[in-house]
Amino acid sequence: MSESLVYDEVENPSTVREVCANGLRMETSAVEAKLDEGNIQEAESSLREGLSLNFEEARALLGRLEYQRGNLDSALRVFDGIDLHAAIQRLQPSIVTEKRSSRRSHSNESVSTGSQHATGLLLEAIYLKVKSLQKLGMIAEAAQECKSILDAVETIFQSGIPDVQVENKLQETVPKAVELLPELWRQVGNYQETVSAYRRALLSQWGLDDDSCGRIQKAFALFLLYSGVEANPPSLASQVDDSYVPKNNIEEAILLLMILLKKFHFGKMKWDPSVMEHLIYAFSICGQASALASQIEEFLPGVVNRCDRWNTLALSYSAAGQNKVALDLLRKSLHKHERPDDLLGLLLAARICSEDSLLAFEGVGYARRAVANAVGKDEHLKGVGLRVLGHCLRKQAKVASSDTERSHLQSEVLKSFNEAIAFERDNPDILIELGVQYAEQRNSNAALGCAKQFIDVTGGSLLKGWRLLALVLSAQQRYSEAEVVIDAALDETAKWEQGPLLKMKAKLEIAQLKPMDAIETYRFLLALFQAQRKSFGSPGSHMVQVEDDNEFEVWFDLAKLYSRLSQWKDAEICLEKAEAFKPHSASILHSEGVMNEGRGQIEEAWLAYLHALILDPEHAPTLISIGELLRKKGSMSLPVARSFLCDALRLEPTNRAAWYCLGMIHKDDGRTADASDCFQAAAMLAESDPIESFSSVL
Amino acid sequence: MSLIDEDNTPFETSDPSDLDLKLKTSIETLTQILGPISSLSSSSQDPSLTLLHDPNLTQTISNHLKLPNSGAGDNNLCRWLYDTFQSSHPDLQLVVLSFLPIIGGLYLPRAIVRAASLAGFEAILLALYAHETTSRDGQPITVSIPDLSNSSLYHESKAPVKNKAVELNMAIMSPSLEPHGTVRSTKRARIVGVALELYYKKIASMPITSKIEFCKFCLVWADGNGDELGKKASLGDEEGMSTTSNGGEEKSEPKEEKSWRRVPLPWELLQPALRILGHCLMGPNRTKELTDAALAATNSLHVRALQDVDSQAILATGSLLRLGTMATETSPEPDHTEIRDYMNPVISL
Repeated sequence: MSESLVYDEVENPSTVREVCANGLRMETSAVEAKLDEGNIQEAESSLREGLSLNFEEARALLGRLEYQRGNLDSALRVFDGIDLHAAIQRLQPSIVTEKRSSRRSHSNESVSTGSQHATGLLLEAIYLKVKSLQKLGMIAEAAQECKSILDAVETIFQSGIPDVQVENKLQETVPKAVELLPELWRQVGNYQETVSAYRRALLSQWGLDDDSCGRIQKAFALFLLYSGVEANPPSLASQVDDSYVPKNNIEEAILLLMILLKKFHFGKMKWDPSVMEHLIYAFSICGQASALASQIEEFLPGVVNRCDRWNTLALSYSAAGQNKVALDLLRKSLHKHERPDDLLGLLLAARICSEDSLLAFEGVGYARRAVANAVGKDEHLKGVGLRVLGHCLRKQAKVASSDTERSHLQSEVLKSFNEAIAFERDNPDILIELGVQYAEQRNSNAALGCAKQFIDVTGGSLLKGWRLLALVLSAQQRYSEAEVVIDAALDETAKWEQGPLLKMKAKLEIAQLKPMDAIETYRFLLALFQAQRKSFGSPGSHMVQVEDDNEFEVWFDLAKLYSRLSQWKDAEICLEKAEAFKPHSASILHSEGVMNEGRGQIEEAWLAYLHALILDPEHAPTLISIGELLRKKGSMSLPVARSFLCDALRLEPTNRAAWYCLGMIHKDDGRTADASDCFQAAAMLAESDPIESFSSVL
Repeated sequence: MSLIDEDNTPFETSDPSDLDLKLKTSIETLTQILGPISSLSSSSQDPSLTLLHDPNLTQTISNHLKLPNSGAGDNNLCRWLYDTFQSSHPDLQLVVLSFLPIIGGLYLPRAIVRAASLAGFEAILLALYAHETTSRDGQPITVSIPDLSNSSLYHESKAPVKNKAVELNMAIMSPSLEPHGTVRSTKRARIVGVALELYYKKIASMPITSKIEFCKFCLVWADGNGDELGKKASLGDEEGMSTTSNGGEEKSEPKEEKSWRRVPLPWELLQPALRILGHCLMGPNRTKELTDAALAATNSLHVRALQDVDSQAILATGSLLRLGTMATETSPEPDHTEIRDYMNPVISL
C-alpha cells in the first residue's frame, strides 16, 4: 500500500477531474453528482470501492474534491465526518515508538512511512478544513484548527522530523499551516496570539524553506512595525549564550529586516525593494541613520540603481551628521554622466556646502542648478532652492577676497532671500536668515522686522527668534528692552534649555554696567549646568558634550569679566575651570595673554599670544592683541602691526577693536586721514555691536 | 502644577461599580453639554463603546471641537474631556484619546495665531503628557540596534564571538520627560508629540475616523493649507461642516484663512506623527479611505521635509511614501498558504 500511495505526479492534460490512488483512477463526475445531492456517505463508499481506500482516506479525498470545487460548506461537512483529532491522537504513540525503534533497526521502516503518510493525509484534511473555514469567514475557528495542526505536529515529532524519508504531503502542509496561523490570528484581532504564532513559526524547527521563512519574517517585522500593538518582548529564556534578544517591537522588527537583507545578499532570497524601504523607515524613525548607512554600504553592486544608492546613503550620512561623506557621495550622483539635475541631491549638496565657507562657492553652483530645475511639478521647491542659494552666498561673502566682491555677494544674498520669500511667505527659516543678514549689514530696522515676524509665524516656539530680536536690540543699544525680550523668552522655556538665554542676559547686564548682576546670573547658570549633569548623567552622550561647550563658555566669559574688573585671582580661577573643558584652546591662551598684559607681564603675554596663534592662526582677537602690542613697541614695528590687524579685519570685518587699533597705528604713523576713517568705523560699529555675533542664532 | 500633582494613574482597573458610576456621570455631563444623545439611550451596546465608535456622536463632538472658540479654558466640552481623562476609567480615556487628532491638530496652528484662548486644549494635552510621564517614570525610550556578526534570537552567526562585550548602537527614540505644569511655547511641539506617542500606544483601539482626522491635520501642519478641512473647521458652524463644497472656495474669509499657518515640525513632533501614519498605511484593519488620507498626509509631510532639507525627515517620509505607493500599485501576492495543486484536476492521494 505504501508504494502505491506515493504522490502521483502524472499531469493530466484533459480538464476532466479525476481522482487516483493505489494505482487506480476514476473520474469524479459520478461522485460529484452524489455530493451535489448532499449524499456524502454514498459518495464516500463509491470512492472506497473504486479506489480501495479506507474510510478516512476516502473522506479526506472527498473533502479535497469539494474544496477544489469551491463547495466549502460541503467540504466542511465531509471533514466533520471524520474525527480528525482522534485519528491523529490514535496515530501518535505508534509514531513515537516507531520512530524510536526505527533508529535502532531499519526493519519496520515501511510501516513507519505508511503511518506518516496517514498522518500527512489527516493533517492535510485539517488544513483544508482550516482553509475552508477561512474562506467562509470563520476566521476564529480556522485559527483554532490551524493551531491544533501545529500542536499535533509538535507532539508527534517532539525531537524534530524523523530521519526516515519525510513524506511529501507532510512537508507541504506543515509550512503552510505555520505561515497561515499568525495571519489568521491577526485577522481575528487577537494580537498576542499573533505574536506568539509568529515567534513559534520562526523559533521552532518546521522545515521551512528559505522563501516561506523569509515571508514569515517579513510579515512579522511589518506587524511589529506597524500594528501599533506593543508585543511582550521575547523571553530571555530563548537566549543562547550572549546572543542578542530584542527588547521591544522596533528592535525585533529591525533585527528581522536586517536578517532578510542579509539573506538577499547571500542569494537565499529574491530581492524585495520594500524590505529596504521598511528598514529605512524603521532606522530613521529611531534616529539610527548611521546604522542605516552601514546597512546600505553592504549592498552588492547592481541591486539598486547606483544613484539611488548614493542619494540614500548621502541622506543617511547627513542625518547622522557626517556631512563630508554625504557631500562626496552627492558629488558622484550629481556628476554630469549620472543625474546632474536631481533636485533632492542638488538641494542637499547645497545645504551641506552652505555650512562651510570654503565649500560655499561649490554650493552656489548646486543651488543655482536646483533653482533652474525647480519647474513644473517641482516648482514648490524653487523657494527652498533660493533660500539655500542665499545661504551659500552669505558664506561665500565671508571669505570674499575684496570688499567689492563682498558687497556684491551681499546684495545677491538679499536678492535671493527676498525672491525666496515670494515663494514661501512666512517660512520662518527664510525670515531668520534674512534677519541675520540684515543685522550683519547693520540694517537693524529690517532685521527687527524679520525677527518679529519670525516670532509671529512660529508662535514663539523657537528660541532663535527671541535671541535674534534681543541681539538686534542690543546692537541698537536698547539693552533694557533686549533684557525684557530675554525675560519673556525665559518664561517660554523649560529650565534645561535656558542656558543660552541666561548667557545673553549676563552679557546684557555687563553691557548695562551691572557686573554684579551678571556674576549672579553666571552663578545661576553654572548651578543649572551642575543640576543638568546630575540628572542626565551618562558621560560621552551628545547632551553632555553640548553642556561641556556651554559650561566652557560660561567660565570663559566670567574670566573675561573678572579680568575686566581687574580681579585677577578670580579671573585665573575661572580660566582654569574653562581650561578643564577645552585644554588646548586659542581663546584661553589669548585671555591669559590679556591678563598678563593687564598685570604688566609683557613677556608672558607675548608667549601666550604666540601659543594661541600656533593653535589657531586665524584667531582674530589674538591677531588684534599682537598688533596692539607691536604698536606699543614703537614705530619700527608699525608695518608688522598693521599687517596683523589687516588679517584680523579680513576675518572679522566688523570687529570694532580691530578698527580702533588700526586707527591708532595710522595715527602713530602720521596718516591722520586714514586714522580718522578707522576711528569713525570703530565708532559706528560700537553703536551697532550686538552682545553676541548675529550668526550665533542660526 | 495642579495637573501633575494630582494622583493620576489611569488605564488601571479599579472597582467595577466605581467605574460604572464614573461612566454614568460622564455620560450625564456630556448630555448636558451636547443635548440628548439618541445613540446612547437606544443602543444596547456598552455605552463606553458607543462613545468611542458611534459615528454620529463622534461627529457631533468633533463639530463642537472645531468651533472657533472651542479651546478656551471655560469650554464645557474641554472640561468634560479633561475630567473624563482624569476619571481613570480605561475605556473613557480611550474616548478622550480618540479626539487627540482634532485637539492637537487645531491647537498647534491656533497657538501660532494666538487669537483665542487655548487653556482648555492645553489642559487636556498636559493631562495626556502627564499621564505618559508617569507611566514611563520620565525615562527615555531607547533602542539598540543589533550587530549581525553576533548571533541573535533569529539567526546564528558562524563567526565566533570575538569581543564578549557586544557593542550595540544605542539610539534614543524618545528623550526623558520633565513634568510640565503649563505649556511654554518652546515646549508645545514636545507636549503634543508625547500625547501622540500615547495615542500611538493605543492606536489599535482607535476608531478609523479618528485616524483619518489625524491624517487630515497632518496636511494642515505641513503646508498650512488647510484646504477643505481648514476652511470647514475654521468656519466653525455645523452647516459649514456638513456641506462639502457649496461655494466654500469662493467665500473664503481672509481672516480665517490666515489662521492656517504651517506649523514648525521638529523631529519630536514629526516622529510620533510618522509612526501613526505608518500604522495607517501599513497596519492591520485599514480601509481605502484611511490609506488614501494617510498617503496624502505622508506626501505633504515629504514635500515639507524637502523644503526644510531635513535629511532624517526626508528619509522617513520618503520611505513611507514609496511603501504606500507600492502597496497601492502592486498586485496582491499569490496566496502562499493555498495548497499546491489547487488548480490540478487530478487529485491524487
